[in-house]
Amino acid sequence: MRVATDIGGTFTDLVYVDQEGSIGVAKSPTTPPNFEQGVIDVIGKSGVDPQSIQTFIHGTTVIINALTERKGVTTGLITTAGFRDVLEIARGNRPDLFNLRYEKPVPFVERYLRQEVTERMSQQGEVVEPLDEKRIRQLVEYFRKENVDAIAVAYLHAYKNPTHEIRTVELVEELWPEVAVTASHEVTKEWREYERTNTAVLNSYVKPIASSYIDRLNGRLEELGSGNLRYIMQSNGGTTTFEQAKKTPINMVESGPVAGIYGAAYLGEIIGEKNIIAFDIGGTTAKCSLIADGEVKVSTDYYIEKDEYHAGYPIKTPVVDIVEIGNGGGSIAWIDEGGALKVGPQSAGSVPGPVAYGQGGTEPTTTDANLLTGRLSPKNFDYDVDMIQVEAAIKTKVADRFGMKPEDGALGIIRIANSNMLNALKLISVRKGYDPRDFTLIAFGGGGSMHAPALAKELGVGKVVVPVASPVFSAWGMLMTDLRHDYIQTYIARVSGLNFDTFNNEWDELAETAIAQFEEENIAKNHVRLLRFADMRYAGQEHTVKVPLGSGPITKESISQLIANFHELHEKNYTFKLEGAETEIVNLHLTAFGSIEKPSLKKLEAAGGLAGDAIKENRPVYYEQEGWVDTDVYDRMKLEPKMSFSGPAIIEEQAAVTVIYPGQSATIDEYGNLIIETEVR
Amino acid sequence: MTTIKELKNVDPFTLEIVKDSLVAIGEEMFHTLARTSMSPVIYEVLDYASGLTDAKGQLLTQGNGVTGFIGMLTFMVKETLKKFGNEGDLNPGDIIIINDSYAGGGSHLSDVGFVMPIFADGELVAFAANKAHWTDVGGKDPGSFSNDATEIYQEGLQFPCVKLYEEGRLNQAIIDMIQANVRFPDLSLGDLWAQVAAIRTGDKRVRELCEKNGTETVKAAIENYLDHGEQMARKELAKLPKGEFFAKDYVDDDGFGNGPFHVQVKVTITDDKFICDFRGSHPQVPGPVNVTYTGLVSAVRTVFLAVTNPSQDVNDGVFRPLEIITDPASILSAERPAPVSVYWEAMQGGADVVMQALAPHLPDRLPAGQLLSVCAVTLSGNHHVNGEPFLIVEPSAGGWGAAQGQDGARGQFCIGDGETYNVPVEVAETRYGVMIDEYSLKTDGMGAGEYIGGAGVIRSYRAMTDKQMVSATFGRNKFHPWGLNGGEKGSPNEFIIEKKEGTTDGPFGMYPRYPLNKGDVVKLMTATGGGYGDPLKRPSGQVAKDVKNGYMTVAQAKEKYGVLVNSETFEVEGITEKREN
Repeated sequence: MRVATDIGGTFTDLVYVDQEGSIGVAKSPTTPPNFEQGVIDVIGKSGVDPQSIQTFIHGTTVIINALTERKGVTTGLITTAGFRDVLEIARGNRPDLFNLRYEKPVPFVERYLRQEVTERMSQQGEVVEPLDEKRIRQLVEYFRKENVDAIAVAYLHAYKNPTHEIRTVELVEELWPEVAVTASHEVTKEWREYERTNTAVLNSYVKPIASSYIDRLNGRLEELGSGNLRYIMQSNGGTTTFEQAKKTPINMVESGPVAGIYGAAYLGEIIGEKNIIAFDIGGTTAKCSLIADGEVKVSTDYYIEKDEYHAGYPIKTPVVDIVEIGNGGGSIAWIDEGGALKVGPQSAGSVPGPVAYGQGGTEPTTTDANLLTGRLSPKNFDYDVDMIQVEAAIKTKVADRFGMKPEDGALGIIRIANSNMLNALKLISVRKGYDPRDFTLIAFGGGGSMHAPALAKELGVGKVVVPVASPVFSAWGMLMTDLRHDYIQTYIARVSGLNFDTFNNEWDELAETAIAQFEEENIAKNHVRLLRFADMRYAGQEHTVKVPLGSGPITKESISQLIANFHELHEKNYTFKLEGAETEIVNLHLTAFGSIEKPSLKKLEAAGGLAGDAIKENRPVYYEQEGWVDTDVYDRMKLEPKMSFSGPAIIEEQAAVTVIYPGQSATIDEYGNLIIETEVR
Repeated sequence: MTTIKELKNVDPFTLEIVKDSLVAIGEEMFHTLARTSMSPVIYEVLDYASGLTDAKGQLLTQGNGVTGFIGMLTFMVKETLKKFGNEGDLNPGDIIIINDSYAGGGSHLSDVGFVMPIFADGELVAFAANKAHWTDVGGKDPGSFSNDATEIYQEGLQFPCVKLYEEGRLNQAIIDMIQANVRFPDLSLGDLWAQVAAIRTGDKRVRELCEKNGTETVKAAIENYLDHGEQMARKELAKLPKGEFFAKDYVDDDGFGNGPFHVQVKVTITDDKFICDFRGSHPQVPGPVNVTYTGLVSAVRTVFLAVTNPSQDVNDGVFRPLEIITDPASILSAERPAPVSVYWEAMQGGADVVMQALAPHLPDRLPAGQLLSVCAVTLSGNHHVNGEPFLIVEPSAGGWGAAQGQDGARGQFCIGDGETYNVPVEVAETRYGVMIDEYSLKTDGMGAGEYIGGAGVIRSYRAMTDKQMVSATFGRNKFHPWGLNGGEKGSPNEFIIEKKEGTTDGPFGMYPRYPLNKGDVVKLMTATGGGYGDPLKRPSGQVAKDVKNGYMTVAQAKEKYGVLVNSETFEVEGITEKREN
């Protein structure tokens, strides 16, 4: 039995797959601050026998919570003499251009705990000044006195030559074994000192938190007697062992959300779709990610707390490319001072929540609009919904302002919310040079299936898939993951002058590191799969394009192929290419998968019922073109493979509703997934 | 006033969705350019802007990396309409290149603009435009902008609003001219292609938008959007204090020993107008610190947005209440052929007097004085590893002023910049023939106040080869950032040269082409911002913490703040008599 648990803001989800390939789900409240309790609760609730659990995979918000709530430990920084303020100067930028009272992000380490040591590497990795080891000893004493719990070490050009960092960590560990320590090259081997320093600092800041959480969880799982294959979901869309996760907890910062994206890619593989747009709508945000040719895109351009008004904090670890916007079921509709209707990014959250919850919410939300237009029914809620209140909120706060009927106001809210989400979907597709007609939309999360059919049509996507277990799809995705590590090494070289020997050596070293790491995690070499990419650009450019590079030693041919691929990808992404211009490699990127055995999913048997038998009611639903239309409501639990029907239709399942528009049609595939044709040719 | 009702047959939500699409197109154009540019000054400093205007050249949406360009796109388009005003002059596929500082440009020649008319159903519906700082446009000095230019002709190639593409056909002659006249043609032409790609993206997307929603709907949405902007601005204007506000300050000098030059403003705020009258300011000067009227407009618009609603969508409707008056041919409204290379000195000087006039009355919106100058540095020479020529063109981060309830930002680019990124030390050392000895905060303890001015920044470049040359323009060298409501003033922008043999030259505010040999260091030190409020009111515990963090000394804590701090334990040991009273 394989079990995945995913801690969310409100619920901890569990999905399991047994030896026969059957899937089961469970949900239980999240239990801060002792999150492991929620995990144990949900295992109990699922009815799974803990001793039958062979593989346990876990997604957690513990790291991101510790960061955003500033609940990490007091951290000291050791850095190159002359550069302790790099962390505070940061990049000097001011995204909120016209706000002359802009406030920069406050560094995670105060100035008195940012200490310098004489040492210096050149940009070529040569020692310019040796490490002053005496100073390290003094600093350890100083940090002890200042009650520091963790230390980060970040020196200039350590991505090129980390020996000074390695020696420093050795000394610190020898002098003070209890303190948590991180060297910058352990978390990223890319250049840019501010980003690397910040990543090292944040890793140290959460390291003790992660250790104690993982140890507690591990202890509870031991008590239950579950099997010892225990993994944690990382931001790169793969898993790692509990032990490794304690060393580089910063790799778990997007632990939960990326699993859904990975799940979409995996599902695509099963149902024969290689080009996918994964689309997840929750209570406060919508997230999307594009998967071309089965490949989940990963980059290190990740920040926390960054938006159009804030510079945020960079974390240079591999994270699945996700675009996230402040539009979810709880997003509030409001009229700005100029009289325009806006939806989000403010959210009613789960408390007080939408007006529908009757928990004191007074502002109309997307959920309320879906309710008033019949997309949702009061019966879908655990609360007693007062429709009079819902209608009154939309009427007074929106519809009356435009002199229209409440249902038209509600439709306006849905259209504006859809427009916001459509812009995000375009951002990852059309604007990156992809034609949406070549893609299938996989929709999940509480609200994904409600909005996806309309959005797909607007975007020009022909097919929407609402997977089995769509409301808990992130946990489903975790079930399907392999171990994954990404190794990114800054390596600046003009392609025309490339020395094949050193280039091959670099790759071999990365591969050896990967295989050694997997060995530590009990994955045999023959279960390791390596993918190579080069981050490339035209000489003179800054931003890079990730270009795949086949396996085997580098030859003239493989290099010309690499260059050709680069030109093509550059044109795809940026509309032009400069054939003949000098190209440059910036980073080597090795992605290593350690595959673990997984049961294959079971195909469902059709009992031979009729789709009509799954209709549980018929209710009026308000559509943009057609107005109010009496619409059949299907119970998803009763739908069987090969059943099909046409829109308009509503499909209800626990915690999610799918809206199929007039002219669209739906079928159930052999795994129970809902496949919608969107009427786009 | 509300225009929503006036638009027949188009529902308000469709209008809103089309407006959002226009903004999204602006953003897409902006990001395309950054990611394909060849010049660090574009992709790191984001010294560029791109956007859309309506068919009359009214700004609809502008993606900005810096505040300095806000509204300049409009003037480029208006110049295009002036020059190509007859029926049939502009056609689909045309792209215009323009950098004329006096006509449609507004900044310096280094900022090269492109304009593309967008047609739908055979009708001109909008323009796409962008403007970006090229690493070099020719002229007498590497990097082109020159702090000892005396005429515009020394400052580079002038593109006087001419067609680079005519109905989609490239005018190769212009490319060849650029190739022959600039120092790093690969960089400059790389930027040109990136700008063309970005502008064409705008063209394509607007045409798609018209196709999907109908051209009439898009035009209605445009009109609605501009009116919406005006309405938002007027609502904010109503909240401002009414009356006349005055301020006067100085631009240091013009690089030839002339100066200081006074800059003054009378700001009049009424129920529906915001008027900045700069008449009486100094006439245009021989050195290149002049700014043209267009540049001044951008600077004033920045402050106008800051005091009204900094986070609103920016379009020309927003600026309808704003009026700017100058004398002809003043330092703030220079005319041909006055040099304008380092135009930001007068430009930000203009913005700064508006801030000085209003800050005491709007402490919730405006902070005390800041570094103000772009503090631009150009450093050229040959790389120590590959021997190739290199050229650094970059602004410097410095200290901002404190504000009510807020210490000043430490190490942040000036008001004229914005989403501007410093060049990482590791990138600079790889790319350029230098080592950086220090990148740190200049904790001189100036700008004392209840809220303290933000520290300036020290950045030291050590030349790794002989025959390098550094030019720097650091204004606010003689007149320091001002304090607000009892806060003290900050410290100056300045730089010194530390020769290898141990001697020091400087400090300087402005210096053209200082020669550096291997081992020489240029140490750039930017201003600490002005303070806010009485220093004696800063909580003593906070003062002790400031000392522990090294933002001020024990002596400063005592002298300026009246707090006695133990130099070992950093605990408060008492307060002075002055503070007690």
